[in-house]
Amino acid sequence: MAIIIKILEYILIAFGVAILGLIYGGIGRKITARIQNRYGPPFYQNILDVLKLFGKRNEASHGVMFDLGPVIALTGILTSLMFLPLGSSTPLISFEGDIFVLFYLLVVSPLGMALGAGEGANPNATIGIARGLTMMLGYELVLFVSIIPLMIHYDTASFYKLVQMQGTFPNWNFFPFFLSAFAGLIALQGMMGLQPFDVVVAPHEIASGPMVEYSGRFLGLLQLWHAIAVIVETGIIADAFLGNGGAGWFILKTFSLFMIVIMVAAIFPRFRIGQAVKFYWKYPLIIGLLGFLVLFIWR
Amino acid sequence: MRYFEYFVGPQHVGVTGNMSYHLWADGDEIKKMITSVGYLHRGFEKLMEYREWVKNVPMVPRICVPEPDVNEVLYAMGVEELSGLVPSERAQYIRVLVLEMARLSAFLFYFAGAAGALGLYTIPQWTIGDRDYILDRFEELTGGRAYHIYTTPGGVRRDLPDGFKSRVQETMNYLKKRLIDYDRLMFENAIIVKRTKGIGIIEKDYAMNMGVTGPNLRASGIKADVRKDDHYLVYDKLDFDVPVVGDGDIFSRIMQRRLEFDESIKIIEQVLEMMPDGGFIEKLPNPIEWKVPAGDVYVKLESSKGEFGYYIVSNGEEKPYRIHVRGPSYTHGIQVAQEKIVGMRIADVAPFLFSLDVCPPDIER
Repeated sequence: MAIIIKILEYILIAFGVAILGLIYGGIGRKITARIQNRYGPPFYQNILDVLKLFGKRNEASHGVMFDLGPVIALTGILTSLMFLPLGSSTPLISFEGDIFVLFYLLVVSPLGMALGAGEGANPNATIGIARGLTMMLGYELVLFVSIIPLMIHYDTASFYKLVQMQGTFPNWNFFPFFLSAFAGLIALQGMMGLQPFDVVVAPHEIASGPMVEYSGRFLGLLQLWHAIAVIVETGIIADAFLGNGGAGWFILKTFSLFMIVIMVAAIFPRFRIGQAVKFYWKYPLIIGLLGFLVLFIWR
Repeated sequence: MRYFEYFVGPQHVGVTGNMSYHLWADGDEIKKMITSVGYLHRGFEKLMEYREWVKNVPMVPRICVPEPDVNEVLYAMGVEELSGLVPSERAQYIRVLVLEMARLSAFLFYFAGAAGALGLYTIPQWTIGDRDYILDRFEELTGGRAYHIYTTPGGVRRDLPDGFKSRVQETMNYLKKRLIDYDRLMFENAIIVKRTKGIGIIEKDYAMNMGVTGPNLRASGIKADVRKDDHYLVYDKLDFDVPVVGDGDIFSRIMQRRLEFDESIKIIEQVLEMMPDGGFIEKLPNPIEWKVPAGDVYVKLESSKGEFGYYIVSNGEEKPYRIHVRGPSYTHGIQVAQEKIVGMRIADVAPFLFSLDVCPPDIER
């Protein structure tokens, strides 16, 4: 019985997170529009978009893998969500070492996308996939380097324990580990695939890359994936560096992080793929490694 | 060796209009490109042979959408030269005003394209929004926003409305203020510099040999401007500089336009101050029966894209015998683009094409 309640609870959370992610996206569009001297769409536009897309028929398909790609992407991110503490609440799955599993699962979605879009055989999608997988080499490393000092400091590889041990406001990891947090924030920009690291979609270069062949319900699934990914990705940084707290605080923190990312994206052009990876392996990585110094000084 | 094949256009944000580029890449490096035009072909040159002289006036602006006035003025200048008409000085000043305003709006379009190609989507929204203020002035003066059909052989269709000069000055002041923001966001942006410096270089000698003109030529280091070298209208009375950036890469071409933007504002301000009183159009013969004297003439002027020229032949009939349009985009968008794109990265294709400021309709006139 307990397991059924837990599953139902998770479904509810996943649903809520998806809606929240879509609203974040909508507000993000609004903020970007204001920076660009426009009015922008209403904040609930992304929800309408997804509903509309799910109401469409899918006439075009490029094979089973093409159809399964968005499903794998969505499944990957939903599974990641199980490991993410939403504020001080216990995640669905938590054990010693779950940080590694979470990071591993984060790769599943882009891989699913790659498998699906690759089947479509559109050259733009293929270039997008190649870029996406290369890009991961950049930001994943930085993200990991920014989290490892925390794991060493708290002597745990459980994300939930890590969040619980850091406490509330003045005891945020952000203050002692500000260098790591800064590196993590730069990694977040790349994870979210926004400027200057939006090489994967790059409309002017490869016409939206991997998404180019998708339409209708598949595109709807991809938008849902993206919406949940927004919460999971900002959630990782918020949990790791911005202390624990109730669900309200979690929303506020993730939203603030999302706003920073959106505003940075509005004022930067895009790197070339080589420049983007080089950038990650240079400055954020150095900043992240300097974060270890804090650890050794503190201990 | 099999290359990776892909297309930019005709429906693609990475290309400046309805035009297609067929590319072959080896990994991320472009090995070959073939341009594919024809999506906009309406046969302007042939159509003009079937219309009376004055009926061509509404058609010529279609040859370049972002900067249509160039074609109107050129056509009018050609017909005037053939028929011995001399427009009044006021009309000439008004033409310079219109040309320079069109130039500014074309440059704003250019900044939008170049920044968009590099992924900086705030600049396109800003510049296209600010371009609308110039279009407001055009609407006030000519009644049209994009196409003006304002300059006709013999002068211009209407005189300036009341208070127009001060409103143009206000628009110029606004643009000057906005340029500070543009500079900070675009022209001094470290990533833009990193992305565009040393990429897509058009060397000085190559530019000369290929017949590159206008800002693209000046960006390659050659000081040549029809407005200075071969005066037309009243440009000889105006004081302005011809900036030369000189490196020939994408960044130089973008900066070249940025510097020329200042000069155009300077010209407009002088025109507003120096414009004399007088008539705005000469007395014309009955337009339906107007027979332009036989002869041929080549007229040219400096557009925001390069040197624009019209070769007009009349055999003394009501209609032109032949009109040839020499647009700058043919050279820039086809020959130069095709040769210089080889060896470039896929990511640099769109910025490079946008930096050349190609206008597909003038390739397919």
